Amino acid sequence: MYLLLAVPIFLSFIVAGWAAEPDVVPRVEPKDAPALQEAVRLLEEEVKLAARPQTYIVIDLVDRAVLIKGRGAELHRFPIEQWSAVQLAEAHATFRLQKRPVTRRKVEPAAGAEQLPISLDDMPTEFTLRFSPSLTVDVHPSASDNFWHWLKFKWREWWAWLKGWSLILTTGHAPPSQPSIDLTVTSHHAQSLAWTVTEGMPFLLRRTSSHPF
Amino acid sequence: MTRLKFSLLSSLTGLLLLTLAQSSTLLVTNAAPTPQPIAMDPATLHALQARYKSLTKQLIQLMPGQPYIVVDTARNHLYIKRRDQVMLDALASTGSGTILDKPGETKGQWVFDTPRGEFTVQSKLINPVWVKPDWAFIEEGLAIPKSQADRIEPGVLGEYALGFGKGYFIHGTLYTRLLGKNVTHGCIRLNDEDLKSVYQLAKVGTPIMIF
Repeated sequence: MYLLLAVPIFLSFIVAGWAAEPDVVPRVEPKDAPALQEAVRLLEEEVKLAARPQTYIVIDLVDRAVLIKGRGAELHRFPIEQWSAVQLAEAHATFRLQKRPVTRRKVEPAAGAEQLPISLDDMPTEFTLRFSPSLTVDVHPSASDNFWHWLKFKWREWWAWLKGWSLILTTGHAPPSQPSIDLTVTSHHAQSLAWTVTEGMPFLLRRTSSHPF
Repeated sequence: MTRLKFSLLSSLTGLLLLTLAQSSTLLVTNAAPTPQPIAMDPATLHALQARYKSLTKQLIQLMPGQPYIVVDTARNHLYIKRRDQVMLDALASTGSGTILDKPGETKGQWVFDTPRGEFTVQSKLINPVWVKPDWAFIEEGLAIPKSQADRIEPGVLGEYALGFGKGYFIHGTLYTRLLGKNVTHGCIRLNDEDLKSVYQLAKVGTPIMIF
């Protein structure tokens, strides 16, 4: 009799234990093979990164979020409003940031408290992150958030596209293409990302299963 | 005027063409994912599911089991967390991100950033004294003293300090009105009450994750 009572109680503890597990991994439908493959690939990379004392970033294109993590724990996240990507199939490594897009200010000796420190507001809202192995991430605000920056970005995008087509028309060869992602986030989140990233910081990318890898 | 009209027209045409190009197969967008059925035999799928579970377990095991400190330098907050639970949320002051040239050196500079990454609490001090480094004198336009005794300034770091390496500390401040701002030379400042909580909750070896 006691055993009959003990079994459900024991099982409820196990279920509660599962439920209490932190939401640290990408949730996938177990029968969705492409999504599962991608989640496994991402986890293999992340386990290697989380084993070392460092912070890293996961750009999750499926859940449309940028996650700052350390030791597998989520330290901060912000949403991606929109994204698009080129050559996504080749973007499957741990990418290291080459250069931080920060603004610096020099302080003059003896000027004391008159000198303004740098704050999040000084950070750029539109920038390009370049990585090794080859990947570029263009970050910019949405048209509703900052119209002029959006227009400037679209103009640059159009110019690059036009140059590519000109090359095809004149030489008959397509320009060498590399993986690139375009992220639309709020101005505040773009500045937050510019502030957070450091040279050599590892980035991971969770790709959508809608695209054949 | 004609040139302006032409450039506007060409810009609009360009944007239209770009929009059309974005619908091409080269460019993947954030349309709702529609998983494509791929042929995978049940054994392979089962192996994949097992691998997913195993990796999930590995990642969870790597997470700090004990309370850990998280510092958000962009928003100037310090948190103490246990798993996903926030045990303390404190307003802080972190590095100003400014640069000061080293006198007499062409390329030497001090960069007043709070370091990013993962660190651990290396020391816990009560009633710490500040041994002013060279930059503190240069910044104030003063000569660097010859004697170590002239560098000591008690009572400015609060009642406690937690060192996390290379001269960086979590400590108190006299300038509580500046909490929430990036004004420090790299250290993390807290008010007296929060500093006491951090001192009590953190041990030597407690991880500090700074982003």
